[in-house]
Amino acid sequence: MNDAANEAARPTAEPAVLEARALNKHYPVSAGFLKPKALVRALDGVSFTLATGKTLAVVGESGCGKSTLARQLTMIEPPTSGALLLNGADVTHADAALKKRLRQQVQMVFQNPFASLNPRKKIGHALEEPLVINTSLTAIERGEKARAMMARVGLRPEHHARYPHMFSGGQRQRVAIARALMLAPKVVVLDEPVSALDVSIQAQVLNLLMDLQDETQVAYVFISHNLAVVELIADEVLVMYLGKVVEQASKAALFSTPRHPYTRALLASTPRIDAAARQTRSVLTGELPSPLNPPSGCAFHKRCPFTVARCATEVPVLEALGEAQFVACHRVNEIG
Amino acid sequence: MPLLEVQNLSVKFGAFKAVDGVSLSLDAGEVLGIVGESGSGKSVTALALMGLIDEPGRVDATRLSFDGRDLLAMRENERRQMLGRDIAMIFQDPMASLNPCFTVAFQLMETLRIHEGGNRRELRARALQLLRDVEIPDAESRLDAYPHQLSGGMSQRVMVAMAIACNPRLLIADEPTTALDVTIQAQMLALLLKLQRERGMALVLITHDLGVVAEVAQRVAVMYAGQVVETARVPQLFDAPRHPYTEALLSALPEHNIGRRRLRSMGGVVPGAFDRPAGCLLSPRCPHVQARCRVEAPALQGDHGAQARCFFPLAAPT
Repeated sequence: MNDAANEAARPTAEPAVLEARALNKHYPVSAGFLKPKALVRALDGVSFTLATGKTLAVVGESGCGKSTLARQLTMIEPPTSGALLLNGADVTHADAALKKRLRQQVQMVFQNPFASLNPRKKIGHALEEPLVINTSLTAIERGEKARAMMARVGLRPEHHARYPHMFSGGQRQRVAIARALMLAPKVVVLDEPVSALDVSIQAQVLNLLMDLQDETQVAYVFISHNLAVVELIADEVLVMYLGKVVEQASKAALFSTPRHPYTRALLASTPRIDAAARQTRSVLTGELPSPLNPPSGCAFHKRCPFTVARCATEVPVLEALGEAQFVACHRVNEIG
Repeated sequence: MPLLEVQNLSVKFGAFKAVDGVSLSLDAGEVLGIVGESGSGKSVTALALMGLIDEPGRVDATRLSFDGRDLLAMRENERRQMLGRDIAMIFQDPMASLNPCFTVAFQLMETLRIHEGGNRRELRARALQLLRDVEIPDAESRLDAYPHQLSGGMSQRVMVAMAIACNPRLLIADEPTTALDVTIQAQMLALLLKLQRERGMALVLITHDLGVVAEVAQRVAVMYAGQVVETARVPQLFDAPRHPYTEALLSALPEHNIGRRRLRSMGGVVPGAFDRPAGCLLSPRCPHVQARCRVEAPALQGDHGAQARCFFPLAAPT
C-alpha cells in the first residue's frame, strides 16, 4: 500500500537526483587495415530521471549498452553528446576538479566481487581509501567510520583486518557495497550486483540493498539481466537493445502489460518454476546483432515476430503509451 | 535396467570430501536435473562420471556402471573409447572449451575420426550435417570459422554438435546456458530438449538455476555440500519440497517473493572444507533444526521416487 502511494506521487513530485537527457556514447573502432574507422553507437539517446530513494533498473542482454551507461553515469567517461544532471546541475562539461568532487555522489558496485577488491589490501583499508582520498579525517576517525559501515552491511568488526581471499562471494559483495556507501553517495550504480552469487546469498544481498535504501534514501541504478530480481527491487525499468531504450515503464506497467516485442520475449525466455507463470515459449530466432554492424531501421526487426517492411527502413522512436510507459515500436498499437 | 547407475560415489581432495556418498540412477532417455549452489559438488560429480578427476583427487564408489558395464573395473583405454562416444559432456564456458587454434570443421572431424573413422570428405559432410542438426544458420560458411569468429551462443552450439557427433546415449551438460544471454539460453534449452527427444538420449543437466530445471527436467537431485539432500520428480519437488534446504532455496527466489517487502532468506553459508558441522550438514542453518540433527547424520529416506536426507522431512503443504 505504501508502494501504491509512492507510485501515484512518482512524477516530478520528488526532485530528480540524477537525470540523463539524450545521452549518446559513440566509440570509433578500427574496421581493418586502411579502412575508415567504424562507429559503434554503444549508447544512443538514453533519457531518464531518477528520484531520491528510488531504483531504476536497466535490463538488456550483452552489447545492449548497460555497462556503457554505467560508465557515463559514474563520470568515468564523458558522453559523446547529451547531458547528465546531478541534483539539477549539468555535470557533462564539469572540469576535472569538480568531477572529482561530484564522483563522491555517484558510486559503483561491480558484478564480480572476486575481481573488484584488491587482494593485497585488507578490508579495512579498502573501506577507508575513499575517505583518505576525499576527506581530511584522521586515521582514527576513518577507522570508526569503516567499522560503523561494516556493522551496517552485516560484517563483523574482526573482518576489518582480513584480506579479501578470506571471504565468501556474498561477504565480498557486502564489502563492495560498504565501500560504495562510505562517502554517503546520492546514487549507487549497481552493475549486475547479484548475478555472480548463489540463490540463498543473492536473497541476503538484495535484502541488504533494500534495507540500506530505506535507511539512507540512496537512489540505485540497478543493471541486471535477471527480470525476476528487477521485478522485486525496481521502481522504474529501462529495457535496452543495442544501445537504445526500447521500452521504459514503471515496474507495475512493465510486468503487467509489457508492450515491446523484445520485452515480451525477455519475459517469456526467463525460466519459471511455476507452470502457471510460464508464458508460451516463443523462442526468439537469431542472435544478438553486432553493434558494429547494426540492422537498418529498428535494431530488433530481424528477430521480431511482428516485423513488417517499415521496420527495416524506419527507426522507431520512444512514444508515450499511457502515463507510465514509453515504447519504441512501429506496431505497438496493432499487436496489442 | 538403468542406463547409468551410481552408488556411493565419493570424491576426495586430500581430507576434503567434494562429493560425499552420491547415489544416482538414470534410465535411457530420461532427463535428470542436478541443482545446487557453488561448492555443492555437482560439477565434480559429473567430472567423476567422465573419469576426469586428476590427482590428487580420489574417486571411490561401490558401484559405477553405464549400460551394465562397470566403469571402475574397465581398463583406461576401453573407458576412453566409451567417453565421447557413448557418454559425452558439454561445459559451461563454450569460449574456453573450443581450441582457438583450429577451425570448427577440424575439431568436429577430429571427434568423428577418433571414434568412427572415415575419409576426409565423408567426415566433412558429417560435420556439416552436425552443424545443421544444431541449427547453426549458414552452416557451410561456419565450417571453416575459428572459434573467435563465433558468438557465445554459436560456440555452445558447436560444443553440442561435437558432443552429439557419435550419437551418445548419455549427454552430461554442466551449466550449458549459464554463460549465455537469456534469449539465447531459451534457444539452447529448446535445442537440447529437441535433440534429447529425437535421439532418445539421456540427459543430465547440471545447473544452479531452479527455473531451468523446472522447465526441462523430469527428475531432480538437489545437492548441498557434496551430498544429495533430496531427489524427486518434477513438479513434485517444486510443489512440495520435503527437505528444508530445498524449501529454503525455493523461497529465496525473487519469483516466489513478489509483493513482499523483503526476500525470505536463509542465514549462513555453505560449509567449506574446515567448518563441516557434525550431524546433518544443514543443521547450523536449518530453521527446523532439532537436537538429534546436530549429532547424527541423516541418511536418504523415503521410497525410491522421492527421497530426502532429513530426520524430520517437511509434510506436504496443506
